[in-house]
Amino acid sequence: MNVNNSITLSPAGALALAGGLSLALAQYFIWIYAPVEATMGLVQKIFYLHLPVAWWGLICFFIVFCASIGFLLRRSPGMDQLAVSAAEIGLLYSTLALATGSLWARVSWNTWWTWDPRLSTALIMWFIYAGYLVLRQSIENRRKMRMVAAVLGVVAFLNVPLVFLSARMWRSIHPAVFAAEEGGLEPEMLITVIVCVAALGLLTAGLLLFRFRQRNMQDRVRDLYIQ
Amino acid sequence: MYEKEDQGVLLELKKVSHFFDQRLVFRDISLKLKKGSVLILAGPNGAGKTTLINIMSGLISPASGSVLARVPCEKRAFLGHYTFNYPGLSALENLRFWAGIYGLSKSEEDLTDLLVLVGLKGFVHEKARTYSRGMAQRLSLARVLMLDPELMFLDEPATGMDARSREMLREQIRSARQRGAGIVWVSHTLEEDLNQADMVLYLQNKKAAFMGPATEFRTEVLEAAQ
Amino acid sequence: MRIKALDLMAKDLRLVFSDGAGIVQPVLLGLILVFVFSLSTPVGEEVSAQAAAAIFWLATSFAVILVFNTLYSLEGANQARIGLLLAPIPVQYIWIGKALSGLVLLLAAQLFFLPAIVVFLGQDEMHSWPAALGSIMLVNWGLVAVGSLLGAMSQGHSARDSLLSVVVFPLLVPVLLAGISMGAYFFGDGSGEDLGGWLGLVLAFNALFTGAALLLFPFIYGEY
Repeated sequence: MNVNNSITLSPAGALALAGGLSLALAQYFIWIYAPVEATMGLVQKIFYLHLPVAWWGLICFFIVFCASIGFLLRRSPGMDQLAVSAAEIGLLYSTLALATGSLWARVSWNTWWTWDPRLSTALIMWFIYAGYLVLRQSIENRRKMRMVAAVLGVVAFLNVPLVFLSARMWRSIHPAVFAAEEGGLEPEMLITVIVCVAALGLLTAGLLLFRFRQRNMQDRVRDLYIQ
Repeated sequence: MYEKEDQGVLLELKKVSHFFDQRLVFRDISLKLKKGSVLILAGPNGAGKTTLINIMSGLISPASGSVLARVPCEKRAFLGHYTFNYPGLSALENLRFWAGIYGLSKSEEDLTDLLVLVGLKGFVHEKARTYSRGMAQRLSLARVLMLDPELMFLDEPATGMDARSREMLREQIRSARQRGAGIVWVSHTLEEDLNQADMVLYLQNKKAAFMGPATEFRTEVLEAAQ
Repeated sequence: MRIKALDLMAKDLRLVFSDGAGIVQPVLLGLILVFVFSLSTPVGEEVSAQAAAAIFWLATSFAVILVFNTLYSLEGANQARIGLLLAPIPVQYIWIGKALSGLVLLLAAQLFFLPAIVVFLGQDEMHSWPAALGSIMLVNWGLVAVGSLLGAMSQGHSARDSLLSVVVFPLLVPVLLAGISMGAYFFGDGSGEDLGGWLGLVLAFNALFTGAALLLFPFIYGEY
């Protein structure tokens, strides 16, 4: 048997590897480089995970939006696969952002949940994109499912500014209990955040590409089977 | 030369192919349907007859190729397995609704006359949900006749009809043809309906296995197979 | 010149009211919700204006789901949907027709919800009726715009009510928050709310979803 021992790295693999390495590097920044926050102590380190997943989650949802428009214009299955892959990763990230945010709130504000506009917007988006994935599972006619999912992918994202605005206006009834989340960041903290965002960005790109290729292959196998 | 050939062409397909997802349904279908002629679509189950007639009627856009209908949308009519009747409306209300959607101003007498013509006298004010399959299909036929179509698409219209309704359907197809309407007809009682057809398109193996005059189809395909 | 979207609406309403189930079900569900909610406060305590407004809009949201499922399943009986797609009308007319019928049915349901809230939740003061009705109409517009766009998607699906609510409710959050705030204003003493701001938000929501629906509806409904 002839075994090919040479390792070839796909773009997805390369990105994931780079993401993993840079996340390891980011640990150095988080634990050693950045100073410990005065009032919150070590728990503040959650911030370095919370902010990157929240941002990249939002960017994933933006990718769903763009890919959905692309699908509606060109009807190419690839765009649909990109949209669903991004939705899955976005949902995972917003779950993480909500969990870490909740931990943060417990320590910082002494409550698990509060009607903070950003928090609420994240939760409502979590519901919308969870619904998006449920919808995709539930409609059997695949052409119709893709079309409906793409329409939902577009309106869901268009809705985000309004959700945020309404959540902010809603809070204004109650007095603003908490000051702005991040005031003046120490320069070391800022650099650490940037490193973490970049590292997670690499991993996200890798994950997205990997999931996209997986879906692509799944569809090809399925079509072979049908023919 | 070119123009003369195209005179009286109501519907033209040029190299039409269609896919479901990646799966080919058929490819390179080209045809011209002229005024006052009947084209029968035939072929084994799953050959894509219904898909093709849906493409011809404009319900689906083909993956590639072009469909050119030289008849305005309001002069095209479709009669298929589905009757498009609203069960909660009476026969008359059903017709009145479709007349409104097609922008026709028909008096109540006009519509009643049509219903009498298709043999629904006495059921004009009955709700469509009480109708038998054959009656529902005749109501659907009345809707089609009301449009006075120049292009008719029939997708196995006789399904579930009794012998009398079927005869009525044939008669209406004949008279529509005499008026100069072009008719596309998916039939599963091919032998019976062949003598009414001018042209036959036989779908097999994802392409047009036969496309030509009905008389040739009889000698070349049907009798050869026997 | 006939307005064909109105023909569609007239047909839908005739069908819904001919057997009644399409309107009785949302009304009953809403009344039950209001009644059960009245149990949430101890005897003798008043329900706040905001809570009453919230339950009013919750009942209305469930009505949106039921109403649009009914309206779109009317086209499913003998695939009349295909007939409409083949007819010489823009597909968007179907969205408009369904949205208008949905609006009428929603208003009919709310006609029952409002007195129920007065009776069960003790909200017997209303600050400026005409303005309150105006705000209800505006919020309803947003609800039916979304309902009519997405109500079409679950047609032919067995669990369509629950599927539709999972997808539609989160999308409705901005307009529901606005409805609840404005309702709290009108049920209450007419103070403490930024009425103008909420009004602007509802108008923005309505404009966004009306525009999106006109552009996107053919993709959902035109797909054979």
